Amino acid sequence: MTEPRTRVGITGLAATSALGRGTQAQLAGALAGAAAFGPVRRFDTGRRRVTAAATLPDASSLADELAEVVSEACAGLGATERAETPLLLGLHGHPDAGRSPEATTAAFAGELAQRSGLAGVARVYTCACVSGSTAVADAAARIRSGRSERVVVAAGYLVEPDQFALFDAGRALAADGAARPFSAGRDGLLLGDAVSAVVLEPVAAREVLAEVAGWGRAGDAHHVVRPDPDGHGLARAITAALRRGRIRPDEVGYVNANASGADGDSAEAVALRRAFGAARPPVSSTKSVHGHGLEGSGLLELVITVLGLRAGKLPVNVGHLGPDPACDVDLVLDGPRRAASPYAVSVNAAFGGANTALLVRAT
Amino acid sequence: MSTELVAVTMPEGTVPPPLPGFVVSSFSPLVAVAADRCLTARHGDPPAADAVGQRTAVVLVSGSGDARMAEHVADAVDAGARIGPLLFFQAVPNSVAGHVAARWSLGGPVVCLCPTGEPKAEGLAYARLLIEDGDADEVLLVCVEQAGAAACAHAVLVSEGESR
Repeated sequence: MTEPRTRVGITGLAATSALGRGTQAQLAGALAGAAAFGPVRRFDTGRRRVTAAATLPDASSLADELAEVVSEACAGLGATERAETPLLLGLHGHPDAGRSPEATTAAFAGELAQRSGLAGVARVYTCACVSGSTAVADAAARIRSGRSERVVVAAGYLVEPDQFALFDAGRALAADGAARPFSAGRDGLLLGDAVSAVVLEPVAAREVLAEVAGWGRAGDAHHVVRPDPDGHGLARAITAALRRGRIRPDEVGYVNANASGADGDSAEAVALRRAFGAARPPVSSTKSVHGHGLEGSGLLELVITVLGLRAGKLPVNVGHLGPDPACDVDLVLDGPRRAASPYAVSVNAAFGGANTALLVRAT
Repeated sequence: MSTELVAVTMPEGTVPPPLPGFVVSSFSPLVAVAADRCLTARHGDPPAADAVGQRTAVVLVSGSGDARMAEHVADAVDAGARIGPLLFFQAVPNSVAGHVAARWSLGGPVVCLCPTGEPKAEGLAYARLLIEDGDADEVLLVCVEQAGAAACAHAVLVSEGESR
């Protein structure tokens, strides 16, 4: 593993979700446990089994929402600095890809970079629910090795009819209108808007909001879409993040879990026990309030994790009906818990057995 | 420094054998057959030996993505037609990458990228990043493009070190 050379800081961040626009709205919603699910009014759900999601009522286009969060995250950068900074972008693809052959994902990304005054697009991640988190890991690796001075990472998903229809057809959505991560009686996930951006730089560059102290990426090698019930891949991603951060498991004070309310939450619980052993850090999944933002989920959850650490409070795991013996983790229930450590891990997993873990330290 | 251990090209016009669980589009079957040929040349029959397989990443690079699948879903949604549940499981390129990883017991990172420049060059640069950063020793890189009913793929197995 590469020896650390440069510490990596988050020097700007911004997010939009059904909790609202801006970081304060994300933090307030996550700490209050104010789940943002409701009937979808953005498009017709008349033919769907489930009709709920977490959508921002006045959301604009994905291109506009991404441009807005990039602009907000980069507020501390001058025009010259922006013009030297590459963009890593996570998204499903061009929003019109299925309806217009000319609508290419690369062009969409390029227009965002140009509109934001950035140097260009270094890479576009289309790896489902680990898109944003993988981009952060890669950006951090580039900065730590001294190969990049600054990287902007953005990722976004706005609930739209095609993915909604696919998730509904796959009976992946919760029929009772609530996402209940790790809970007994959980019935599935609910989709949610998630558009975020962060700026990563060496720690010494300017005021740092949090340090990206470690990261890990690993695969399950188990199944096309189902997570490994033994949690080996996810545990290896977490362990890699802790090793890079030179942190013991018992120094981690919070895990923002990937859990969505699906059956596979139990696999994550196994992975957390495997990686953290007896340490048992407090756990919640903020998907329980903002929904599953697919390609945008990992970055939104990282932003909320950082905001919670900086506020000294851990977000609530909402929708809990009762304990599931297969999900034996220390859930943050009933209200935000005081953060007992500056270190937290944001965990994400995706179809294909893709897993990531991001270790952050509040500064 | 990285080395291309094996390279396989599936030219446009290749008709891949059906891949169970994947319907409508040749995108995923083509990725699977290109990956299989590349990995067979390296490992013989699946799975890969544990020590190597656990440290092998799967990286899929595609500018088009599964265009046929996206069109099919958009058409069905717009027409109010039924959408088959199998389509959910192939909604993202990660799915076939996960198929390859599971079949060959490849436990490294699983990453899908859309290139903004030359696909193979971007894929190789990314493979080097994963290897140099320490999460993989070898990377199976599959570049695949789809236009209409036609698709082509190029698979490369990359390792660290000098050319052999």
